[in-house]
Amino acid sequence: MKRWIPIAVIVLAAAAVPLLLNPTGYWIRVFTFTLLFAAMAQAWNLIGGLANQLSLGHAAFFGIGAYTSTILLLKFGISPWLGMFAGGALGGVAALIIAIPTMRLQGHYFALATLAFGEVARVIANVWTSLTGGPVGLSVPFVPPGFAAYSFKQLLPHAYIALIALIIVTAIFEVIRRGAMGYRLRAIRENAAAAEVIGIDTTKVKLQTAVISGVLIAMLGTLYAQVAVFFDPDTVFNAMSISIRVALIAIIGGVGTAIGPILGALFIVPVEELMNDLFSAGAAGLSQLIFGVILIVVILWRPRGLVTVIEALRTWLRGKGAQS
Amino acid sequence: MTTSQPLLEIKRLNAGYGGIDVLHDIDIEMREGEFVCIIGANTAGKSTILRAISRLVPRVRGTLRFNGVDLTERAAHEVPSLGIAHVPEGRHVFPDMSVEENLMLGAFTARASSDLQQRMERIFDLFPRTRERRSQLAGTLSGGEQQMVAVGRALMLQPKLLLLDEPSHGLAPKVVEEMHDAFVKIHRGGTSILLVEQSVGLALDVAARGYVLDSGRITLQGASAELNENPAVRAAYLGI
Repeated sequence: MKRWIPIAVIVLAAAAVPLLLNPTGYWIRVFTFTLLFAAMAQAWNLIGGLANQLSLGHAAFFGIGAYTSTILLLKFGISPWLGMFAGGALGGVAALIIAIPTMRLQGHYFALATLAFGEVARVIANVWTSLTGGPVGLSVPFVPPGFAAYSFKQLLPHAYIALIALIIVTAIFEVIRRGAMGYRLRAIRENAAAAEVIGIDTTKVKLQTAVISGVLIAMLGTLYAQVAVFFDPDTVFNAMSISIRVALIAIIGGVGTAIGPILGALFIVPVEELMNDLFSAGAAGLSQLIFGVILIVVILWRPRGLVTVIEALRTWLRGKGAQS
Repeated sequence: MTTSQPLLEIKRLNAGYGGIDVLHDIDIEMREGEFVCIIGANTAGKSTILRAISRLVPRVRGTLRFNGVDLTERAAHEVPSLGIAHVPEGRHVFPDMSVEENLMLGAFTARASSDLQQRMERIFDLFPRTRERRSQLAGTLSGGEQQMVAVGRALMLQPKLLLLDEPSHGLAPKVVEEMHDAFVKIHRGGTSILLVEQSVGLALDVAARGYVLDSGRITLQGASAELNENPAVRAAYLGI
């Protein structure tokens, strides 16, 4: 019971934040994207953290999700809520197709192969104009507002949907991590040879993880499309701003932990926005440079992620408690 | 004449990696309750035989039967549930898990068993040091202790056949002796053992029978005592 209290406090605090922000302002948008990217990094954390396979191609599934629900809405008037599940299914199939040949690869080779697959997806989305509209991009059509239609006048509902999505993805991550599948993944991660000889079907477990991860990030693609309203292949299938970014968020926060991607997103998304806000008027490009320096400093300071700051803080508080 | 079915039947086995065969026409037969060793120099292909039995070698041609089951039709993860436990070369423990967790994972395929605690106690009896260190992370143990955990983990399956790949490699002589005493006990308990060893003298001490492997072919076989007296074996492997 006791360990639920801090979680409840954090969730309530997160739920209160959008109410304090200007509902038509800039920062509620930043907050929504922070939650969304935290959820995306959490979905990546399944494959990157639990299966220890550094995927740099998750934009492929994310883009598939964004495009599937938007195309279904444009062409058939299907609610994005349903489109989200269609996108999730397609994202899962794509994840399986990519994982079958690449999952045998380890380390750098897996990272490079998935990066290449992600780029292939981007190129396909650009040239398949009859389906995607090509480089021109897609606009999510305006439909009369309402929850069932997933259409809102303000960002506030989007912020709460992103929060709920983050909670669900985090819960799925924790259930898998603590369950039998998590144990299998941990055994594979710690010693693949030993895992195999005790009867773990290493390929199957990794494929399952890849598919779940792909389904989740594809579903989040729909959430992104609904908030962004306009997108093109080079945004949703982007290697840098999607694939590498979600991996970076999880790694900076603490890979393989449930809190890591949340800390990583809380740090990276607002800081990046703040840098852009501060410097882009004076000297374009400077913000990226400073952001890069901040990332390097954080990685050097906390190689195992920001999650270690919390651990250190806890030990320190306990020490304080013991003294008094 | 009644011939009981062999526990392990390997006939004209060819196996290897990529396009290259490492093993050529291997014939090995084991009856239930036997303690057999495979000896030979490094790179002779000894480990590959064990890896072929465990289905860890992708390319396998020939007969590979265990208890009447055609192993070539099984995948690696199905092998433990048939009753074959493999201790791979090089002390493969799960370093960030406790000794107990390591052992428990060994019984991974024996899900429904209720006597896992008893099995663990028997392993603690066999290797008392693993009991002392039951809650310690396996990665922090000494090499010998890690090997004990690896062997214990395999025994958690209560296998019919135990495959041991160079279990004494890189261990202190005193620990090697302890290990081999444990193998004799395991064998007396009714488990058949197929042992691969580079230390030929040690292997022929504990096993009743042996095969000599040279460049992927079996060149000699017989009772350990005979092999021990064989001039070729003495010259090549015992350095006498």
